[in-house]
Amino acid sequence: MLIALFTMWLLGGSSTSLLDYIADTRDSAKTIMVKDERQKEALNTLKAMKKRARAHNKQAGKAAKGLNKAFRDHAVTTAEIDTIWGIYFTEVDQYNHDMIKLRFELKEHISREEWAAIFSDEQ
Amino acid sequence: MRRLFSRRGLGLLSVILVFVLGGCAGKDDVAPVDIEKQAFDDLRTEIRELIDDPAREAEAIAQVDALVTELDELRERVADRKKRIRQLNADYDTSRAEFETFFEKVNMEIRSNRQRVGDSHRALRASTTPEEWSQISKTRTRAMNSLIKSMQAT
Repeated sequence: MLIALFTMWLLGGSSTSLLDYIADTRDSAKTIMVKDERQKEALNTLKAMKKRARAHNKQAGKAAKGLNKAFRDHAVTTAEIDTIWGIYFTEVDQYNHDMIKLRFELKEHISREEWAAIFSDEQ
Repeated sequence: MRRLFSRRGLGLLSVILVFVLGGCAGKDDVAPVDIEKQAFDDLRTEIRELIDDPAREAEAIAQVDALVTELDELRERVADRKKRIRQLNADYDTSRAEFETFFEKVNMEIRSNRQRVGDSHRALRASTTPEEWSQISKTRTRAMNSLIKSMQAT
């Protein structure tokens, strides 16, 4: 448990993939939007977000595995832990950048009213 | 019998009691706070069993206590971040700059964590021998597994 907790603490809990949930709104978009070209574009963007989120979570899994191994080692150095952490946080920055870009792309296909309905629980 | 009433045995009994009593309140409905308390109690029990030197044992227990506080704070921060990002996203007029400012703040907090995690990890390791560390690292009880799952889902 101790090792898993150190890893979670170092990776910032689950707050390094904060935009994943947007990709899970496909069903709402299908229900709320009229089936037309705009809906198709919106669904494509959501699909791209899902793909990006999956890739990020795969990287998070790799980093967690590496950190678990490092934290278990009584002789591990700070530099070794920092290396794994540094690679991971470069990916986090890129993920945030990509997901924000996709979020604004998604907005281009969705009206203000549809957006409010899709994300009505979040206000 | 002696085994059953060893500290580890008592720890196991406590875990069983937490889950049995929790079961009385509602099937599979143990309060997260009780699971967390039990998980850390299990860890402290394991440390007390493994480390014979009172000074090193006290240091390790103090580090675990500090870890509990840090993780509680982390959980609160994560909940706040999730709430804030959902508010930002729900607002159709949120600008790109507002998202970037939010993520800069989050990343800064996560970076500042790094030092504290490193210090805590080093201090805890320093209070153990490699053999003790190996044993403590492997310790997993039912309450510990539940705590990890609940933290991952936070």
